Amino acid sequence: MLLPKFEFHEPESIEKALVLKKQFNSGARFLAGGTDLLVYLKKKIVSTDHVISLQRIEGLGEIRENESDLFIGACTTMAAISRHPAVQKRFCALKSGADNMGTHLIRNRATIGGNVCNASPAGDTLPALLVYDAAALVISPDGKRDIPLRDFFKGPGKTDLKNDEILTGFRLPNPPDHSGAHYIQLGKRKSAEINVVNAASFLTIDPGAGNILSVRIALGSVAPTPIRAPEAEAALMGNTAGDDAFNAAAEIARSRDCSPIDDFRGSAAYRRAMVGVLTKRTLAAAFDQARA
Amino acid sequence: MKSYDVISTRANRIDTPDKATGKAVFVDDITLPGMLYGALLQSPHAHAKILSIDTTEAEKLPGVKAVITAKEAGQVKYGVSPARYDETVFAVDKVRYVGDEIAAVAATSLDVALDAVSRIKVTYEELPAVFTVEDAVKDGAPQLHDEFKGNLCAEVHQEFGNVAEGLENSDIVITTEMKSKRQDGAFIEMQGCIAEYDNRGVLTLTSSTQVPHYVQRTVAMVLGMDVGKVRVKKPYVGAGFGIKAAANPMELACCMLAKKTKKPVKMNFTREQVFMYGRARHRFHHTITTGAKKDGTLMALKHECWLDGGAYTSFGIATVYYTGSLLGGPYKLANMSYDGYRVYNNKPACGAQRGHGAVIARACFEQQLDMIAEKIGMDPLELRIKNMMETGDTTCNDLNMRSFGMAECIEAVRNGSDWDKKKGHMPPGKGIGMACGFFVSGAGYPIYRSDTFHGTVIVKLTEDGGTALVYTASAEIGQGSDTAFAMIAAEALGIPLENVRLASGDTDMGVDLGAYSSRQTLMTGHATKEAAENVRRQVLEVLSEQLNVPVEKMDIRNGFIEFDGDTPDFSALRTRYIKEHRGWTDNPDSDKLTFKEASRIAFLERGSIVGTGKYKPHSLGGKFKGAAVGTSPAYGCSAQVAEVTVDMDTGQITIDRITDAHDCGKAINMTSVEGQMEGSISMGIGEAMHEEVIFDNQGRVLNHDLAEYKIVTSMDMPRVKTIVVESDEPNGPFGAKEVGEGAIMPTIPAILNAVYDAAGVRVYELPLTPERVFHAIQEYRERTRASA
Ligand SMILES: Cc1cc2nc3c(=O)[nH]c(=O)nc-3n(C[C@H](O)[C@H](O)[C@H](O)COP(=O)(O)OP(=O)(O)OC[C@H]3O[C@@H](n4cnc5c(N)ncnc54)[C@H](O)[C@@H]3O)c2cc1C
Repeated sequence: MLLPKFEFHEPESIEKALVLKKQFNSGARFLAGGTDLLVYLKKKIVSTDHVISLQRIEGLGEIRENESDLFIGACTTMAAISRHPAVQKRFCALKSGADNMGTHLIRNRATIGGNVCNASPAGDTLPALLVYDAAALVISPDGKRDIPLRDFFKGPGKTDLKNDEILTGFRLPNPPDHSGAHYIQLGKRKSAEINVVNAASFLTIDPGAGNILSVRIALGSVAPTPIRAPEAEAALMGNTAGDDAFNAAAEIARSRDCSPIDDFRGSAAYRRAMVGVLTKRTLAAAFDQARA
Repeated sequence: MKSYDVISTRANRIDTPDKATGKAVFVDDITLPGMLYGALLQSPHAHAKILSIDTTEAEKLPGVKAVITAKEAGQVKYGVSPARYDETVFAVDKVRYVGDEIAAVAATSLDVALDAVSRIKVTYEELPAVFTVEDAVKDGAPQLHDEFKGNLCAEVHQEFGNVAEGLENSDIVITTEMKSKRQDGAFIEMQGCIAEYDNRGVLTLTSSTQVPHYVQRTVAMVLGMDVGKVRVKKPYVGAGFGIKAAANPMELACCMLAKKTKKPVKMNFTREQVFMYGRARHRFHHTITTGAKKDGTLMALKHECWLDGGAYTSFGIATVYYTGSLLGGPYKLANMSYDGYRVYNNKPACGAQRGHGAVIARACFEQQLDMIAEKIGMDPLELRIKNMMETGDTTCNDLNMRSFGMAECIEAVRNGSDWDKKKGHMPPGKGIGMACGFFVSGAGYPIYRSDTFHGTVIVKLTEDGGTALVYTASAEIGQGSDTAFAMIAAEALGIPLENVRLASGDTDMGVDLGAYSSRQTLMTGHATKEAAENVRRQVLEVLSEQLNVPVEKMDIRNGFIEFDGDTPDFSALRTRYIKEHRGWTDNPDSDKLTFKEASRIAFLERGSIVGTGKYKPHSLGGKFKGAAVGTSPAYGCSAQVAEVTVDMDTGQITIDRITDAHDCGKAINMTSVEGQMEGSISMGIGEAMHEEVIFDNQGRVLNHDLAEYKIVTSMDMPRVKTIVVESDEPNGPFGAKEVGEGAIMPTIPAILNAVYDAAGVRVYELPLTPERVFHAIQEYRERTRASA
């Protein structure tokens, strides 16, 4: 398995990258960390004559703390995300997703933009981005647009991104007080694992009454894309946070919010059962943080 | 106790500096002038007739130097054991698995070679294929080999004692099954080789192999060459685990391409091809019945096993025998029967892997020991102590334990794990379990029938004196054998390790059967010791003549000559030595005569001092059919305790701790012994927990990379406490015997027994994926609910 030949471009600005992309149209592919793209090229799952690297474009690899949100550049690596103080402090579910991805070597290269564009149902950062209600920031020759992450995934490997668009980064609104979030991935071994099921939950509570003010649950590997669990979320809204509510929500997520399939990594039945367990556990852990 | 200066220490390995700095040369580091690159055409079908092969387009491609198929390669059959040669280098009329070799190309670059391979046109007529043992033995199933009707590759039927009677006289009889999955060795270095054919007609194959000797013989046989014109050598090798213990078709094709092009040719497997080629551990399906008395005495064992063999025999004949014979111990057991069947099907062939044939049988049987213990209310550790063999015992199938530290091992893990405090007192979801095992220290016989020595070694002293050169054809594949033999030579000769240089892995250096069946430490070790002692004697003989002291009154230790009683006046010798070194600043001035002076004098008197050593086991074992498989000059044994946590909601298992004791006779290098123990445990955990080669319904491997074939990561590896037990094996050099494979035996059953202790479930199929364990827990809950 040798890497096929292609022409390699390293533009230093978004504008130049857009021009190059337009010039080669669908014949060109963007390269971030390359941990998906190069594997696909070697395995001949993808073929291309032109590879346009995004690595030299300034700003794409940065994390910026704004007043009400956190900007994470598309080319930020898992290692950089995991290390960042703001992520550690306010977005621990995302840190945990980044920490769980592949191996050290992969985490030093793999980017969050690549993980999202790869749109694997099992992607490790996707549930956290979903529950933090992230927006994908996109640019094209026609201008910019924001895509709520919820609407970004269209199928395994398929996204809302158009051929001439570049993903520049993500905006994650700062979580309010009395909120918490947690991510769990479940696989056969303890690391370097492709998830059998993964899930994240986010909730905000009223510290006095203890009822749930907002909640988001995201599930991976149990549908063609990572998904939110709308029915389970609806069942929780306004209720008193606690084991009873979480158990009930877990049961709804398990029975109504997911549509897993059998494959060589696991059966649909097991995946469905684990949706229940992970929903409950992520909610409970998020709740612990919210009341801490 | 004898005291030693070199062995028994934690000497640094002699290959560490080169490996740590990237200087160590592996096959892929080698490039030769004018070298071509080879590539294989492998079958995309699991079972098909080859109607025609058209290589014209491939040959036309610029840069292509040779294209060969069965037409050029001939149809010489080869394999592992001469009793069952069932392979040809290239498929002759049909292909039998996805990956079966059809043709090979040599070209000026790998790109061109691969391009050429894609231009070879093969017309196939697809045949129905079978992928499981069950389907392969059905009436009317597609047949793989005309000579072996019913796809039965081999069957074994043995009975020792009287099993029916033994079971009748038992108070408790337990029958269980155990199913495992096909493994991959997952060695770090994919197979690779370079063949060169010189102007005088000598073929040199440099290969990533465990067995230069067997590869040499196979190459000579298949290419129709004199063995003397074939030289096989190995550079550093990134492990093998049994998979590299025979010649592979790429090595043979590479030799043919070199012969045809008269240029060096290099070939490599990709990781995908490693999986396609297979030859690792079989998939086993055991049914075992064990009978015991109420007091725990084991009475009888009835064993049936079906082995999923794949398309060819490879090591399979040995495997199917080992699977039965290595249940004979480490317990006293008078009655044992075995019915083993190895079945062909359209998947890559399976072969030998660490713990050859015996690992899953033990996983089944050692669980039954725990079940028996539970039934009679006995501590499973006590049950094992009650039944265990002792030094000098012989199993019902004639395996003789000349040294056997089984009792010491069990006591060591009992104390090391705090067993007595923990067993029966683990909190919910946590469990503790144990198991034992034993393994050969080398096979009693070579793979082909022969009176050959199993190992020969040459030790030569450099003419300047002071350095010993050790030449052995044995195979350092990462396990540390070079270091072990350098240490043995240094010890036997009486000089420091730094004064020994060693070269290995080259058939020009002698005969050595290679690195398999845990044989080298004992066998090559013996030959090394004998060669070093021979050299030592020659030096002392010369000294004896010069100093008029009997040889028995002298010794060499730490590089100095020691005299029994008064030191004679050796000033004449020293003067003679120093005279030759006028102007040198480091002439000896010690009170003692140095080895360097002595060996220089020996050279001046006798010429080059060379000693040879050899080893062949004494005649071993029983007279029954198959007795040769399982007999060994010595057996290592071990006990392990595993502690686990089971997540009762997800089925995930965490292995918290493993305590391992192994009797290796005598640790030549303590650190290497521990390394083998830990390595065995990591491989055992992988097989127990997540390793399995998965196929689609066309016979293609789905997980042919190390992302999806899940070996143990550092995060999965528990804390391991290793305890080395030394029983001083009479048949071993300095008392040493195996550790490389025996240490894997108890790992899987210890984990299974711990899982039962933690979760109340017995799982009869591997690996213990969260999903499988989850379902077992669900069933258990339903069962207990129903009965409540
Ligand atoms: C050994 C190994 C282990 C892995 N383990 C995991 C794991 O545990 N969990 C997991 O989720 N993933 C895993 N992966 C997959 C992969 O590492 C991740 O999906 C990673 O985040 C991809 O990022 P990248 O920067 O390498 O993407 P690339 O390969 O560079 O790009 C991926 C795709 O996205 C497109 N793209 C990238 N950035 C942009 C952009 N800014 N705008 C538009 N298009 C873009 C590319 O054109 C390409 O099609 C693993 C991969 C390997 C090789």
